[in-house]
Amino acid sequence: MSARYGMVIDLDRCTGCGACMVACAAENNVPPAHSRATARTGITPMLVRRLSNGTPGADAREAFIPITCMQCGHETPCVSVCPQQAVEVDKATGIVLQMPQRCLGCRYCMTACPYHARYFNWWDPQWPPGMEQTLNPGVSVRMRGVVEKCNLCHARYHAATEKAAGAGETQIDPLDYVPACVEACPTVAILFGDLADPSDPVSIAADSPDCFRLLAQIGTDPKIHYKTTQDWIRALADRNSLRSHSPEAQHV
Amino acid sequence: MTFSRRDLFIGGAGIAAGIAFTPVPWKLLGDVSIWTQNWPWIPQPSRGPVESKRSVCTLCAAGCGIRVRMAAGWPVGISGVATNPITKGALCPLAFAAQQLNFHPQRLRAVRHRGRTASWNDAQAAFQKACQDGPLLIVDSRPGRAASSILQAFAATHSGDYRVLLGQDSQALAPYAAWNGVATSALGYDLENARTIVSFGVSLLDGWGTPGRFTRLWSEKAAGRSDPELRLMQIEPSLSRTAARAWRWTAIRPGSDAALAAGLAHVLIEEHLVNPHQLVPPQTSLIDAVAQTGLSAETIRALAHTMVQRRPVVALACGSDPTIAALNVVLGAVGTSGGVVLRSNSRVLEIPVEPSTKGYSAVLLDDTIPWGFDPQPNAEVFRFAAWDGGGNQGDWLLPAPGFLEALTDVPAAPALNAETYSIAQNLLPQPEQVKTPVQFLAQIDSTLPPVEKAIQARCQEIFHAKRGVVFGEQVVAVANFESTAKLEEQLRNGAVWVGEPRHPAPWKCALQQWPSATSPWHSADWSAAWDPVVLPPLATKLYQESDLREAPARSNT
Repeated sequence: MSARYGMVIDLDRCTGCGACMVACAAENNVPPAHSRATARTGITPMLVRRLSNGTPGADAREAFIPITCMQCGHETPCVSVCPQQAVEVDKATGIVLQMPQRCLGCRYCMTACPYHARYFNWWDPQWPPGMEQTLNPGVSVRMRGVVEKCNLCHARYHAATEKAAGAGETQIDPLDYVPACVEACPTVAILFGDLADPSDPVSIAADSPDCFRLLAQIGTDPKIHYKTTQDWIRALADRNSLRSHSPEAQHV
Repeated sequence: MTFSRRDLFIGGAGIAAGIAFTPVPWKLLGDVSIWTQNWPWIPQPSRGPVESKRSVCTLCAAGCGIRVRMAAGWPVGISGVATNPITKGALCPLAFAAQQLNFHPQRLRAVRHRGRTASWNDAQAAFQKACQDGPLLIVDSRPGRAASSILQAFAATHSGDYRVLLGQDSQALAPYAAWNGVATSALGYDLENARTIVSFGVSLLDGWGTPGRFTRLWSEKAAGRSDPELRLMQIEPSLSRTAARAWRWTAIRPGSDAALAAGLAHVLIEEHLVNPHQLVPPQTSLIDAVAQTGLSAETIRALAHTMVQRRPVVALACGSDPTIAALNVVLGAVGTSGGVVLRSNSRVLEIPVEPSTKGYSAVLLDDTIPWGFDPQPNAEVFRFAAWDGGGNQGDWLLPAPGFLEALTDVPAAPALNAETYSIAQNLLPQPEQVKTPVQFLAQIDSTLPPVEKAIQARCQEIFHAKRGVVFGEQVVAVANFESTAKLEEQLRNGAVWVGEPRHPAPWKCALQQWPSATSPWHSADWSAAWDPVVLPPLATKLYQESDLREAPARSNT
């Protein structure tokens, strides 16, 4: 049976510490910022943004929202536009995979992505001398000129399937496949699992009335769900205003 | 054979059709995209045997349990240890990229004397001469380690002084230590049993104390609940990360923490919200508190009532402001479950280093001393550091081992409610050109024991006391260990010893009068806990490639 890996991110638990961002970069051999890189040109497959209710003084409220590839399950925009077949949806896992070796760097997918969750390698990946020894051997380093994004730590999925195969199993142990950001979250704000399995905790959590998905109405069936009990965050999401250019969702 | 115009058209059409249908251009396009991704200067990850080892993070005094994934003998990934009873798998953002630090461009790899390269022999000769010229001062910021005891022994045998530079968390406990005659390191906060926490600007959810301890506690007992089991009341001028997630946030004017603490104490005593005690109420009236904090009298009264609705309640401070400690005395949060508790019987008082260290001829700064600490003495300063923070922060800059390059032990982190002990194994070989302060001093005084011996002695002490539990791959009571060697082996493999929680003994508080306030001190964030000279390059994700954090104020990141 095919899985549909996804997440439920509890915004009421996210403290905006950024551990998920650093752990993601370390796991996936994302290089440190080039001296000219900015928030627009840097590579952050997991990006935590700050939300504000826009009210000054004692009534001010803030929250943090981790934005990553939404792993769209239907009419995946990046897949549709890629001229190189460098993006595909893995039918076994539902993960939207990016293959940098096929990518030409045309960046159509970045334009098509409604979540701004794709990043272009503007510079050669560089680490200070010697630091390349600390790179994760399970993940290839991407070259300048290609697009990349979150693939739910697919190298970890491969390792889990190989471990299961070694044990004569066809199904992986869910504990063996946990993305780096999920593992790193100090407040357990990110739940990860198989949305196709009704008994999976992530599937149960996603059914909560407190859950919502970004731009759900455009029909991309994102597999990243957000959870909050705070009305002002829901109001922001319902107004589709979770964009970095809007005053409500400031990229402070 | 003649070549007609017709043949030209046929040939042209054939070529056009061939180009249209041949895979060659597309193949070339695809190949070019592959070739351009395989330039020789693109870094390749290390290949070799992959293994996972447990250890302890030594970036700050918190000593979080870490699991280090090693490939070809190099650390390639760090994650938390879920079975660690204190951190429960949580780490600060910096720890996830700490393996990069040993290769940081600012890594110190040679002895420097006033900006020029020198040798260890030169440094040793200069140190010995300075010690002969006058008294020696050794400054340490993580007392209680095996290395600390050796530094202390050296200072004692060479007519020198050993002083401690207290961190922010320890400073907040200093008033209780002063009033009760116990060591600061013997005190902690029993947050696990508190039901209301009143935080005066403490970055509880942003790296305070042991990063995972409170975040996990908050996550389990408070996050996202309108009526949480643990009420976090944040009193702070600005909407910090902790304030944003607190159950209640009260914005006060900057610097008015002490006035609010006094105002709250007034209300608590006058309205009989607390048990009567001997402490004289503060001189500051409620009207003064209103004037200074910008809050109304009703707000302060309501705050006081809310504080004591759910007990136990404890107030937390960032610096050594005694008024907030006195508020805890009023609240009855000293020496009780859920408040400020004695975690050990230690009576060894740490003598804090004075801001001015005149009267010494030589000052040796341990590599745990934050770069920002500049004693400005009329003496020769020997500073150990793994990374160069720039500027003139010592006459001699002595390269120390980096992350996981030296064996060290980690005593209980400040503010914990129980004694702990763990050992950070040196997973990486120590580079030839670096030395620990103990190795440096051992070349001068050969009677000093190595760190290994001091760690063995500490393990022996724990083993013979037969109390507490060791949390490793399995949880084993110390009483069930066969020998000291087995216990030490477990600890060297990343296990942590946790002493049995003591029943909080009520203290006889010597405080009779409301103390006068000191200057307020608001904590910064996770990077302040370590006060790093450098950050791992991947920290740029947080402040350069996103705007999640402000860029560090220092230029050497």
